[in-house]
Amino acid sequence: MTTATLQTPEELARRNRRFGMFSVLCAALMAGVFATVPAGSQATFVLTAARGELIELPNLVVGVTPAVLVMAAGVLAIAVVQFTRGFGSRTVLMAAVVAALLVTAFLTWAAAGDSVSLISLFRGTVRSATPIALGAMCGVMCERAGVINIAIEGQLVAGAFAAAITSTVFASAWIGLGGGIAAGMLIGGMLALLTIKFRADQIVSGVVLWVLAVGTTSFLATQVLGRDAARFNTPVRFPTVEIRGLSQIPILGPVLFRHTIIGYAMFIAVALLTYALFQTRWGLRLRSVGEHPKAADTVGIKVLATRYKAVILGGAFAGIGGAWFTLDATGQFSREMSGGRGFIALAAMLVGRYSPVGAFGAALLFGFASGLATSVQQLPVPIPSTLMLTAPYLITILVVAGLVGRLRPPAATGKPYVKE
Amino acid sequence: MMTTPRRALALATAGALALAACGEAPDEEPTDEVEETEDAEVDDEPDEDADDADAEDPDADDADDEADDEVAADAEDFQACQITDTGGVDDRSFNQTVWEGFQQAEEELGIEIAVLESESEADFDPNIRAFIDRGCDLIVTVGFLLGEATEQAAQENPEQLFAIVDFAFEDTYDNVREIVFETDEAGFLAGYVSAGTTETGTIGTYGGINIPTVSIFMDGYLAGAEYYNDEHGTDVAVEGWDGNDGLFTGDFESQDEGRRVTDSLLEGGADIIMPVAGPVGLGSATAIEDFGEGLLIWVDTDGYVSAPEFSDLMLTSVLKRMDVASFTVIEEVMNDEFEGGIFAGDLENEGVGIADFHDHEDTVPDEVKDALDDLEQGIIDGEISVDPADY
Repeated sequence: MTTATLQTPEELARRNRRFGMFSVLCAALMAGVFATVPAGSQATFVLTAARGELIELPNLVVGVTPAVLVMAAGVLAIAVVQFTRGFGSRTVLMAAVVAALLVTAFLTWAAAGDSVSLISLFRGTVRSATPIALGAMCGVMCERAGVINIAIEGQLVAGAFAAAITSTVFASAWIGLGGGIAAGMLIGGMLALLTIKFRADQIVSGVVLWVLAVGTTSFLATQVLGRDAARFNTPVRFPTVEIRGLSQIPILGPVLFRHTIIGYAMFIAVALLTYALFQTRWGLRLRSVGEHPKAADTVGIKVLATRYKAVILGGAFAGIGGAWFTLDATGQFSREMSGGRGFIALAAMLVGRYSPVGAFGAALLFGFASGLATSVQQLPVPIPSTLMLTAPYLITILVVAGLVGRLRPPAATGKPYVKE
Repeated sequence: MMTTPRRALALATAGALALAACGEAPDEEPTDEVEETEDAEVDDEPDEDADDADAEDPDADDADDEADDEVAADAEDFQACQITDTGGVDDRSFNQTVWEGFQQAEEELGIEIAVLESESEADFDPNIRAFIDRGCDLIVTVGFLLGEATEQAAQENPEQLFAIVDFAFEDTYDNVREIVFETDEAGFLAGYVSAGTTETGTIGTYGGINIPTVSIFMDGYLAGAEYYNDEHGTDVAVEGWDGNDGLFTGDFESQDEGRRVTDSLLEGGADIIMPVAGPVGLGSATAIEDFGEGLLIWVDTDGYVSAPEFSDLMLTSVLKRMDVASFTVIEEVMNDEFEGGIFAGDLENEGVGIADFHDHEDTVPDEVKDALDDLEQGIIDGEISVDPADY
């Protein structure tokens, strides 16, 4: 969404210079630190899942020093081109390449003398990204229609709770999913009511709903679920559905095509929302309400109704994301189990500049950082686990500070619409 | 160190805005009041929102005063009060175990019991204060994370008796019983059993946060496996802990992180996994179910009983008998035998131990089972070290 950023030529030039310097630094870091391992050290990358594979790829074994030096040379070459000729419109792409090479070099260095499963890393990435991406879809819908939604975290935890209890009581994962969606929409409806009808401060309303959702579910978890877990807190989960044929593609198969229905729902949600927002009349109207509600009103679009629908429907995505916790990832609800993922979803939406695809990319980035932390903590590297656990946040800061241009939110976001 | 960035972010936002919320969002107040009323009345129930009320609403003080009056009317009653850490009293782990000791005391000794749950670390101080105001005879704070708050409260209120589970202060206070557990002794046995039972030659462990009360389990586990290796000339690898640092999920709430971390361990070949992360460990059970292979070592309580839906996955559990300890301390106070200082649960006084193998009696090789008694004695006599640095 290049339309969502404002960049003057000076800003662009400054960014390009910054990128060049960044690349040189990366190359130096790679050659100076990541390449310095005991001579002859090898890193092993496992390319097949431990189970269920028809085609077993051999492990990829590389010499650490030569591999990292090649990557450093690549980064240096990019820096040279950047300073001499520049990449123009492909600068962001090249920045991503540099970052990817840096991370690969880091992982190669960390895995020296040991092995790391790339399948586990990538599958963990997609898994971690699922609730974040679904939460971010909710955020995108609300924000595009002009309502800031801070309550995503509350919607996730309420979705997880409702999904667990309905799935248990009705002994059906599908009904559980319905319960999760309903809970997400309920909180969405409350947010809509507070912000659209009563024109309450949107940030405050969101926080209040979050606190309400966390408090209520924690309370009920103790008072109801905790009393009789067998009756209320043993949800039927969705089984993993392997997509025939595709799931046996080496590397991609186990990463992309062995998920539960909620995992696939994430991919579908991103595609669907992208299409609906940018290709349909409905999407145009929704966006117009977030950008210029007065103009929309003048041409006969029902501003308030459109906002209601967007916020409540958005809640459905967050509800699915919440259901992921109890119907996919784990088999029971426990208090505050969403662990702040709703706030990460909010960040993902911002990093993704209010676009579904961008937010999805950002969610994958967060997921990757978590997966990387898990993989690296199992390797004998002198990096404290506490530091590795901050990787998702460090990466966010780097991305936001270094790569994302100035954000331009939908013009009318955060402002209640009052008809004159 | 103790707060994950996620929580910190969330809390900072909440702290700043929850206060504002009271003044600015009239739509929400009815909800708050309902919750508050429950807090004031349901005193001996695990009440969730007392802390919220304390933090957000000045009326909470009134609620506490009411509670005081009740106590004054019935002064002969002994009150033991528990403050949980952020895990909650239903965590199927250590908060719950202490609470079970309380419930036992209520039943057998006829005392009054109460609990306040901490939603976040910001609740520790207000919760302690609420119980001091209420006139509790003994306040038991549960968890390493409450150490600082408890020490401060104990210094400021020398007349108030405290017991803290899982923390030993540098100084000794006359009014604080520090209940600690030598869980590495029991973890050692679990590590030995795991190393003797694994089929893949790899066992794994991970923790919630890298704090001493978590890592001590992992230390013992690693040492036990290494001891087995030395004894049998095997090469069983322990993933997730190297004696200093290892694999952590970052909090004690995000079950799905436990699941993902376990996926990674299973993918790496581990077939027996010991999560030391409270409810997060339940995520491991789901991961193993989906993976189709693998066993769990539960911690704190006997997982076969406390997580019955996964009983078939429980090889054994590293028991930390906090119920026994909390009951004992309550008894001490009632009998005027309370003294400040450390109360250490170990193999010798059965404050720690490992649980039965239950369904997996036949999974564990006989020679491993037969060796356990001697090992236990060796540890008690100090002949066998449970420090992984010695192997």
